[in-house]
Formats: sequence, structure tokens, C-alpha cells
Amino acid sequence: MKKTSNVGYILRLSLTLLVICAVVAVLLAEVNAITAPRITASKQEKTAQAVAAVLPDGETAAALDTYPDESGIIQAVYASETGYAIQVAPSGFDSQINMMVGVSKDGRVLGVSIISHTETAGLGAVAAAKTEKGQAFRDQFVGKSGVLAVSKDGGDIDAITSATITSRAVTSGVNAALQCAERLG
Amino acid sequence: MNIGKQFKEGLLTKNPVFVQLLGMCSSLAITTSMFNGLGMGISVTLILICSNVFISALRKVIPSNIRIAAYIVIIAGFVTMVDLLLQAFLPALSENLGVFIPLIVVNCIILGRAEAFASKNGVLASAFDGLFQGIGYTMAITIMSIIREFLGAGTFGGGVLNGGEGIRILPEGYPALQMVMPVGGFLALGFLIAGFQWLMKKMEEKQKEGVK
Amino acid sequence: MAPMKYFYELTISSSPHAHSPVTTRTIMRDVLIALLPALVGSVYFFGFRALMVTLVSAAACVFFEWGYRKLMHLDSTVYDMSAVVTGVLLAFVCPVTIPYWCILIGDFFAIVIVKQLFGGIGKNFVNPALAARAFLFSWPVVMNTWVKVGFENAAGVLDTADVVTAATPLSAMHQGAMPTDSLLNMFLGNVGGCLGETSTLLLLLGAAYLLLRRVISARIPLAFVGTVALIAVLFPQGNDPLAWMGAQVCAGGVMLGAFFMATDYVTSPVTKWGQVIFGMGCGALTMVIRYFGGYNEGVSYAILVMNACVVLLDKVGLPKKYGAVVKEGTKA
Repeated sequence: MKKTSNVGYILRLSLTLLVICAVVAVLLAEVNAITAPRITASKQEKTAQAVAAVLPDGETAAALDTYPDESGIIQAVYASETGYAIQVAPSGFDSQINMMVGVSKDGRVLGVSIISHTETAGLGAVAAAKTEKGQAFRDQFVGKSGVLAVSKDGGDIDAITSATITSRAVTSGVNAALQCAERLG
Repeated sequence: MNIGKQFKEGLLTKNPVFVQLLGMCSSLAITTSMFNGLGMGISVTLILICSNVFISALRKVIPSNIRIAAYIVIIAGFVTMVDLLLQAFLPALSENLGVFIPLIVVNCIILGRAEAFASKNGVLASAFDGLFQGIGYTMAITIMSIIREFLGAGTFGGGVLNGGEGIRILPEGYPALQMVMPVGGFLALGFLIAGFQWLMKKMEEKQKEGVK
Repeated sequence: MAPMKYFYELTISSSPHAHSPVTTRTIMRDVLIALLPALVGSVYFFGFRALMVTLVSAAACVFFEWGYRKLMHLDSTVYDMSAVVTGVLLAFVCPVTIPYWCILIGDFFAIVIVKQLFGGIGKNFVNPALAARAFLFSWPVVMNTWVKVGFENAAGVLDTADVVTAATPLSAMHQGAMPTDSLLNMFLGNVGGCLGETSTLLLLLGAAYLLLRRVISARIPLAFVGTVALIAVLFPQGNDPLAWMGAQVCAGGVMLGAFFMATDYVTSPVTKWGQVIFGMGCGALTMVIRYFGGYNEGVSYAILVMNACVVLLDKVGLPKKYGAVVKEGTKA
């Protein structure tokens, strides 16, 4: 093909690219149509599971549209009969820790569960692990209220060994949730 | 089109990770457990085959000036499709691999094979090339995953065996945590490339002796 | 080929024939002598396990070097004693409760991977002991167990089950507060920390010996410690500036790093100004990591990063070449 800059040549280039993009777009739209309902369903189920993990059994929670977010890390708030399930995302050691905190109407923590995180395996990841150590760490928060801190900062939360930053992050997430619940009343 | 030769190339002499040194970012980042390694390998293989076939079928039609743009559109399309399918049907794998699935678009292996092979050969040959290069890549990162997981977490088959926990081989507190971090990735990759080159040299010498 | 063996001792070169009694072996021997006061101190502060860990580490380094050279059919270099020094230095930057299998892995990493795989002595690009220390962070719980100082609290030589742990000065300083230990104790070494780094006094004694024997020059240590002191005095994080400066200089591995690690010939610059900038960079990075980083101690990483910059630093302060022929076409 002679390398000329005439209109016909440029048109041919553009048209080829247009056709390729169009075909790929159509195929993508097809796959999206097939998968989209499943993806939304699994995301909703995941959130529902996270909410159920921190609220007492058998309660249903509805998402709130507006909520006070002084800390800036609140992602969503779900209200149920006895309290709130608040999704927070504090900055951990690596990046954000996505967690759900259940708070009763009288300002006490009902439960903490970690939805997703990228903390160091064996160290910060223990906070989210289903092991004894992980469960013990998360259970520490149950029943507490007010402003919490790890023992190094003068509070009464025992940090995970050699994972102070992750422990601090989880504590700050719980604090943000407690504060939000207090504002909500 | 020589399938035997292509198989040997994809697996050994032109192994994308250990010989061509392509796709290293994903090899370093992903290979922390066997599940991740296998999952990523199979995804890349699928995308390789599809994109190779497509690009090979269109090789006479795509003008040379815009070929890179066209390849990227096709590859990105397939990667997005695989990403959506994974999110829908294998959400655990999708979460583990995270951002590295969309990053397959710029995985040098795919663009490299498109440019080096698919744009110059027939559809069937390109399909096989995609398959064998993909198998070579999967083998490479699975070996890396097994080694890094064993040394860094003390388990074998994380995510696949034993209900997702993997079979614990080293007791807790003994594995070297840095092996599942970037440090370990570079160390493991470096030693594996060295070992692979040594192996290939040995095979070559044996072949030469066999010929004599 | 027996006669050929004796030619190893014969040096053939052209004039000038200037002879010096200094060899790698004598330099390493001097460094070991300089480290002796700190070793004796470590036993006094942490018990006989400190001595055992140091001996095991040194022996393992020698074994790994001998073993590697033998496996690769290379000449044996263990006689230059550099492996012994690496072993002792690595032991000095680890807590006394480090399990023996752990320090053996560290020794292997330092000698085989950092030093021998790159070509042996003179060819490593980072300090082997510090690189191994960084690698040993793979066992963070092990590397962060600090015993309460004192011979009576000593960890058992074979078994470290019943140890009383206590915070080190650096852990308090990481939060920005003055440590509970007095400055005098920190200077003498009567505080928690890695087994060889606690005593500023004993390390200074050794450093004075090295300076007298002209093994090291004062440039890098002064630049290093000076920068640490300057940053501490200028930014005391709410404490009394002079006391904070004293604490920063005496706590952690600043003394050990400045006089024994940063001055390593292989991994520090050759030129005078390069050395000064090297020392200043180490000091600045140490303080940045201590103030803003997640770790309590920044000396090892600071020195490792500056080691990587030595290639560039060697270009600073190169002597001007006179008498070169100007190429045609270039500006005069």
C-alpha cells in the first residue's frame, strides 16, 4: 500500500479501526448483559453477608441515603431495628481496609468484620483472618463505646504483634463508625 | 506449522517468563499462592488464544500503521470480557487478582505474540501458539507460586486444596514472610531464570553429545 | 603442579615497588579488635547467649564462604577474615533472642547471595550484614522481641522461652517522646536493643582504635552522626533539643552503623566529597525513617539506600585531569 496522505487512505485507516471497535463493543455488550445481573447479585449478597456478620441474628437492615460523615471514611450506613451497620474504609498499612462495624442504638459496638484488605499476610492480615488470633482481635471491640485506641496510644485495645499500623487503622474505623452512629442518634 | 516445535518453544526454548522475560510484572505480583498462579495463567492463556485467533484472522485487513491500536482494542475487549466473566462466576479469584486482570491488557506476552506471530501466520497456527505460550506462562508462574508460597507462607496449594487454606507444611512463625512480598518475587524469579537457563544448557549439551 | 602453588605468594609488577604491611586480613583483624569492647559489653548486658549468637554467626559465615567457593571450584577466600567480620556485624544488629536457625539463614543470605553470587569480596554493591538484616525482617516477630537489659534477665543460651521483654528507647522515641532510660544509661549501653548496638561508649572505644590505626577515616562517621545530631536538634518533636539530640545519637544503631557499616570500603564512595555526601545522606535518611516511617530504626535502610547511590557519588569530587588532549571540534 503506497504510503500517501491522501484522504482515501486515511479514510480506510479510520474505517478499519471503527469496524474493529464496533465489533468488539458489540461482543462486550453481549457479555456484559449476561454477567451484569450475576455481578450485582453477588455484590449485594456480599454486602448483606457483611451486614449480617455484625448485627444480631435475623435482623434486616436498610441502606440510608444520607448520613453524617465527619471522618470522611464512611462508605455506607445500614439501619436496622436495634442499631446500625456502618461500612468504613480506613487507611491501613498498604491501602484501604474495607470493614463493617455494627453499632447498637446506645452507642456500643456489636461486631467488627473485615470485608476486604491488602494488608501483609501473616501480620496485618491476621486482623481479618478467620483464625483464633484474628477473631480474638475483632472480638475486643464488642461492647465498647466512646473513642477507642490501641494500648500503645493509651487505650485498651491490644494490637496485633508487629502489626501496629493495621491495628490502629481498624480502631480508627471503629471510632468513625461509633461517631457516625452517635450523630445519627 | 509444526505443533511439536511450537509446543517445545512455548514451554522451554521460548518460555515467555524464563526466556523471553515477558509478563514479569504479573509474575512478580501474582505468584503468592497456587490459586492465584493457576487462575492468572488460565486467564492469560484464554485471552492469548482468542486475541491471537482474531488478530491472525484480520492480519491482511489491518493496515500496518494502525496495527498497534487495533491489537490493543481487540486485546482490551477480550480482557474486559474475561474480567466480567470472572467477576460473575469466580468472584474469589477476581478479588485475589484484583487490578491485575485489567492489567493483562498491557501484559507484554499478549502484545508480543500478536506482533511476533499472529500478525504473520495463519489462524490455526496462531491459536496453537497462543495455547502453548499460555501453557508455558502458566507453568512458569505456577512453579513460582508453589515456591513462593512454600517459603513465604509455609503452605502448599493455597486457595485450591484443603478448603482454601492450603496444606500447611512449615509451622507458623518459620516461613520467611518476605518471600510473598516483592523482595521474594525478585529473588524467586532471579533464581528460577538462572536454574532454567542451566537446565536448558544441560539439555543442549546432552543433545550435542547425542548427535555425536 | 606443586611448584605453581608457591607462585601465589610471589607478586610480579613494575616499579615503583612500594610495600605496605596492610592486607585485607590485617584490616579485618583490626575491625574485629575494635568490635571486642562491644562484644564484651553485649555479654554484660544480655548474657552469654550474645556471645554464642556472635560465635555461631561468625562460624556459619566462614563455613558458607568456604563451602560456596569449594562448590564452585573457586579459590578459597576465607583467610581474609571478611566473612568473620560480616558474621559478627550481622549478629550485632539482631536481637539477642534470635533463634539460631534464623541467624544461620541471615548468614547464608549475607555471604552467598549478597557477596559471593556477585563475585566475592569487593564486588558486592550493598553491605552484606545490613542486607541480611533487612532480609531477616521476614520474621518480624522474631526481630522485634526485645529482652529487658541486664545480666540477670539474660536469655538462656539454648532456649529463650522465659524472657522478660521490655520496650527499647527507640520505641518510645518513635512516638516522639523521650525514652524512660536516662541518657547516661543509653550512652553506657545499659538499655534494650540489638545485641551489639546499645553501648555508645564501647563502640566509640573501638572506633577510636580504628581511627588510630588509620583503617577508617573520620569523614563518613562525622558526616553521618553530625547530620543525625543536626536534624535532631533542629526538629526535636517537642522535647528539649539537646537531650533529644543525645537520645537520637545514642539510641539504636547510629554509632554501629556510622563507624563500622557505612565505612565499609567496598560499599562507600572513594572520593572525599562523595564520602561526605554519603554520610550526610545516611544521616538524613535515618532521621526521615525514624520520624515518618513505620519502623522504629532507620539506620540499616538508610545505609542500604546510600550504598545503592555510591556509583553516582563516586563521580562527585573526581580529581581534575590535567594534560588531556582536546578533541578536534569540541570547545577548548
